Amino acid sequence: MLDMLKQLCLIDGISGDEATVRNFIISQIKSFCEYKVDNLGNIICFKKGEKTPKRKIMLDAHTDEVGLIISSITESGYLKFKTVGGIDTAALLLRRVLINGKVNGVIGGKPFHLLDADSRKKLPKKDDLYIDIGAKNRQEAEQLVSLGDSAVIISDFEILGDCVKSKALDDRIGCLVLIKLLKEYNNYDFYVTFTVQEEVGLRGAKTAAFAVKPDFAIALDSTTAADIAETPKESSVCVQGKGVAVSFMDNATMYDKNLYNAALNSGILCQPKSAVAGGNNAGSIHLSGEGVRTIALSAPCRYIHTANSIVNIKDIESMYELTKYMLDNIANENIK
Amino acid sequence: MEIKELLYSLSQRDCIGNITEAADFAFDVLSQYADTKKYDTLNVIGEIRGKSDYTIMLDAHIDQVGFVVTNIDEQGFLTVATVGGIDLRALPSKTVTVHGKQKITAVFCATPPHLAKGEVEYDDISKIKLDTALGEKAKEIVSIGDYVTFSDKCFDLCGNKVCGRSFDDRAAVACLLELAKRLSGKELPVNVVFALSAGEELGLRGAKTATFTVNPNEAIALDVDFGDSPDVSPTDSSPLGDGGIITYSPILDKNINKKLEKIAKDSNIRYSTYVAGGRTSTNADIIGLSREGVKTSVLSIPLRNMHSSVEILDSDDLEAICDLLEQYVLKGGVFDA
Repeated sequence: MLDMLKQLCLIDGISGDEATVRNFIISQIKSFCEYKVDNLGNIICFKKGEKTPKRKIMLDAHTDEVGLIISSITESGYLKFKTVGGIDTAALLLRRVLINGKVNGVIGGKPFHLLDADSRKKLPKKDDLYIDIGAKNRQEAEQLVSLGDSAVIISDFEILGDCVKSKALDDRIGCLVLIKLLKEYNNYDFYVTFTVQEEVGLRGAKTAAFAVKPDFAIALDSTTAADIAETPKESSVCVQGKGVAVSFMDNATMYDKNLYNAALNSGILCQPKSAVAGGNNAGSIHLSGEGVRTIALSAPCRYIHTANSIVNIKDIESMYELTKYMLDNIANENIK
Repeated sequence: MEIKELLYSLSQRDCIGNITEAADFAFDVLSQYADTKKYDTLNVIGEIRGKSDYTIMLDAHIDQVGFVVTNIDEQGFLTVATVGGIDLRALPSKTVTVHGKQKITAVFCATPPHLAKGEVEYDDISKIKLDTALGEKAKEIVSIGDYVTFSDKCFDLCGNKVCGRSFDDRAAVACLLELAKRLSGKELPVNVVFALSAGEELGLRGAKTATFTVNPNEAIALDVDFGDSPDVSPTDSSPLGDGGIITYSPILDKNINKKLEKIAKDSNIRYSTYVAGGRTSTNADIIGLSREGVKTSVLSIPLRNMHSSVEILDSDDLEAICDLLEQYVLKGGVFDA
């Protein structure tokens, strides 16, 4: 399982540039289900099970990750960029980036020694940041990079104790769980969508949900785990190692309370997401067509939207088990 | 080994406090070319004897900036203090290596998005905890006083530019190792001593004892200086690719600089110059004051993003510095000046 997660995380696929992730996922699932790719680049899969439930169920994970898009090249050969999805400037400054999967660069900064006392404390403005690829001038840079090119902050995939540390855990963990379910789950028919452009406004999920027209949906994603030092316990949102986080409400969705209660009472290790914060594809899916009963299961993720996010492996297993449980119990109508 | 490979080998090995990976590696390389010893102060000093008693000492510091663990809490979060000057603003979500009973990777805590309200002030390293993700097991591996270093690997940029950690001052160490290789077996008019000194980032400490040990007639400290970049004024910096920077300052020896400039011009070796108003924040500041005083100068490598884990330099500048110093030693420095 971790081998495939590593492969998934190390593929670069910022919003709008998900083709490599998509092709990898297709290579994994093509012999286990029917699938098609829609106009935006979503993969829409149907897996035939032993029984056909009365309720149509859609499981979703997004394929994109946060990153950078090259917006101009200066006369001196430095690249200016915009962030794609929310990234804090502290996670950008003095980091290594990879442009188009092949050109190395660094987000530069004024040396510490030359900063006055006040600027040492405060992050520079995002607009003042630049990528240094070592080019002598604009002409040299233009031979390697074009406007609109994608870049990611790169890091290693590592196991730290009981946890994984990587970029793009948000939401390749969801992709991993759904690939595994397409391979292993046979009880009931179900639909899976691997969607694009979540980080820039839950866009792919909108058209994917329109295509599937589900009665029920489960959005798999990551959410911030602030169970860290210097943060009050009541602000932790969720705690690593206590299972997948189940949402009752976030900034995009009021969730179906029956589904929420069923998940928490499943007997499978999980926890409520104890804050109204963030949002995920459920925001698009639950408003699709005449409305979709939706739940979100999120992996508790420290340092989310950075190149060094940390997730407990136990919580990934919990996501898989709880998704399977919900699929069974929505399909067999145990959940009203 | 090419100079870039030497630099990469030195960069990926750490040297801070009692961690001496880079010093051990440099000792092994230098021993092939020079009569080399390790000293208790963690300095590595190698000598190639020449025909006279006159000694030129070439210094580069072997230590690097980093952190030291000051506390370990029950959840496995570490409090650290900085060793040398480090930009705290770039630490959140950054990975580092903790040199505990074994090496482990840890990540500096970042403010969770839902709690990021207004401008965060990065003025206190003790508030930026280090997450080992090991919980209470952290104490089995990490102890107070353990060192922490950046973990970024080296990589190539456009042209001959390269990026990595601890290029300050491993780039200079790489130059000295290359120079020792070039000079070994040659007939030298003077003695040349390579001093790889410890503790520079904490106040030029190793160079003080190294210079006392060597007792040179003259010395050149090799260090890094600010390279050109969009947010540094041209008066504070020197362009990458223009060769080494010959530094003029009231505390430095002008004859050494003039000889370096003459050799560079005569042999068509690229260089630039920089003028400091006083002390240079390099080992030269302390070397010059050893015993009864030592004629000293500074030759610098232009470097971007100094003291970060992604320092950038042009490897051509390292070659230019080796070319210049090779000629300088072969011509006896300022022996007859």
